[in-house]
Amino acid sequence: MTSEEKQRHLVDQLLKGECLVVRLGHRDRQPPGRRPSHPWNGHGSQVPATDPVAEQPSFGKAGASGYRGAAMETLVRVTDLSRRFGRQLALSGVNLTLERGEVLGLLGPNGAGKTTCLRILSGNLAPSSGRVEIDGLDLARQPVPAKRRLGYLPERPPLYPELRVDEYLSFCARLRRMPSARVRGAVEEAKRRCGLEDAGRRPIAKLSKGFRQRLGIAQAMVHRPSLLILDEPTEGLDPVQIREVRTLVRELATDSGVIFSSHILPEVQAVCDRVAILHRGRVVYGDRLVADHETRVWRVRLAPPRDAVSLAALGSVEEASALREDRYRVVLRPGASSEDLARDMAGAGLGLRELTAERSDLERVFFDLVGAGDAA
Amino acid sequence: MIGTIASREIRGGLTTPLLWVLLGAGQIVLAWVFLQTVERFSGLKADERVASLSLELSLNLFGLAAVVALLAAPLIAMRMLSGEFRDGSFDLIGASPVRLGEVVLGKFLGVVALVTPLCLLPALNLALLSGSAALDPGLFAAATLGLWLAALLFAAVGLYASSLSAQPGAAVLAAFGILLLFSVVGEAEAIGAKGLSLFGWLAWNEHLFWFLLGAVRVSDIAYFLLFALLFLALTHRRLANRRLG
Repeated sequence: MTSEEKQRHLVDQLLKGECLVVRLGHRDRQPPGRRPSHPWNGHGSQVPATDPVAEQPSFGKAGASGYRGAAMETLVRVTDLSRRFGRQLALSGVNLTLERGEVLGLLGPNGAGKTTCLRILSGNLAPSSGRVEIDGLDLARQPVPAKRRLGYLPERPPLYPELRVDEYLSFCARLRRMPSARVRGAVEEAKRRCGLEDAGRRPIAKLSKGFRQRLGIAQAMVHRPSLLILDEPTEGLDPVQIREVRTLVRELATDSGVIFSSHILPEVQAVCDRVAILHRGRVVYGDRLVADHETRVWRVRLAPPRDAVSLAALGSVEEASALREDRYRVVLRPGASSEDLARDMAGAGLGLRELTAERSDLERVFFDLVGAGDAA
Repeated sequence: MIGTIASREIRGGLTTPLLWVLLGAGQIVLAWVFLQTVERFSGLKADERVASLSLELSLNLFGLAAVVALLAAPLIAMRMLSGEFRDGSFDLIGASPVRLGEVVLGKFLGVVALVTPLCLLPALNLALLSGSAALDPGLFAAATLGLWLAALLFAAVGLYASSLSAQPGAAVLAAFGILLLFSVVGEAEAIGAKGLSLFGWLAWNEHLFWFLLGAVRVSDIAYFLLFALLFLALTHRRLANRRLG
């Protein structure tokens, strides 16, 4: 490959947002003096030079799909957030931003610091150092106006079992300083959006787990906050309810920013626009997710007798290796799709029996970063 | 906002059985003492009576009601903070645009509103005698006021203890411990420190005694209000520190 071809190849990959390693290499070659665009704020060089958010090492994709326009409004800005519990450092130097209309997935293994981070963002916990701004308001200095703009669903929905659903939601609306005249309408709207229309008179103590979770989301959004913080909102729900919650979160993100924590990777992929991976209290990765981004690594099962060489000879395949018996691992050429692969295999008469995607890019990155790649 | 928090606490308190059990048990005990006092008094000849029926009833009935309130207030207060820490529902308040002072006052008013019916029980019992005996309503009004002020102190101590732990049982025990200390501290004078009246002043029962005798003194009112405020301030401090972990 000539240097010109290589360059074109790199640009292609960048535009498709396909390869993190490639992108980082590209960023490293930026001319000195030019500040790299930061994936967390989407403003690129507009960030002031003194902004510590821009000083941290960045991980995101700088491809065209990675940024929205400068018109995006920064809703949350977290700067150098740290939190200690005695000697244990639960969070260290966390920087992130959230735009209005965006869903940010906070991903990480259990104990990574997700809940601590969200508790700080919700104002339930004070940081040891660092700063949280919501709509430009400092959460520590102006807690009341800042908290008016947020809705928070903790890990366990904060419910009062002795109240009825309507009573509880009215209480939540009033607690968020909603004018009395608007409370009734807001409660009805929250119930409608969360599928609780028929549950208004029911005591919370008698609700099922799924309904309690929905009620937890309803209380977080009843006052129409600009920022919604949801800590593992699908925990313990059945598949149908999980799908409903995902749809609801996407719907809510049309007029608010949402921070959504989970340790379930496909869920984050399904719901979020961007992802931040927390590991041992640090943000180790931040990226924009591309919805139509297909993995390049596939696993195939062929009718024997076949070998990896016949697979590698196909036009859409860059690399093929045998796994066991009739199973093979295939890496597609950049630009090739699974459809091309299937067509090539059928054309070559390889006897295709099974074609499945290997772990998604996010999954691969996650396991690489948290150091559990072998176990996965 | 204080009203919103207080009304939720009252609603929650009325829908759980605890308050009704306390009211029922308190009424049974008070009715028994009421009956015994009246019977004993009516069995005595005129020259054997050392105090009026009103005074006898005030000391016995309101004195016992104070003990009932002392036991009830921490039990009612335990679910307001400690129970919420345990269930995670305090996160709702923590993430809401509410000042901690409003939270403390709202919760305090909630406990006071739920304890107040207990403070009215002796007066309601005495209403049974209103047509058949010449009683001193002024004395009972003073005793009711004293009992209610003592209940304010118990509620504040209960709320403070409730802020100390996420285990409601431990919170109740801590409140009983503090209140017991404030009950027996007056006895220190009898043990040795004769000249020192500070311990006597610290004991809540010494101050309530004057109300039960019909004397409403500003110093006694100030005692109950000041100590209630002190424990509310400590609760506020405790909640603020909780955010720091």
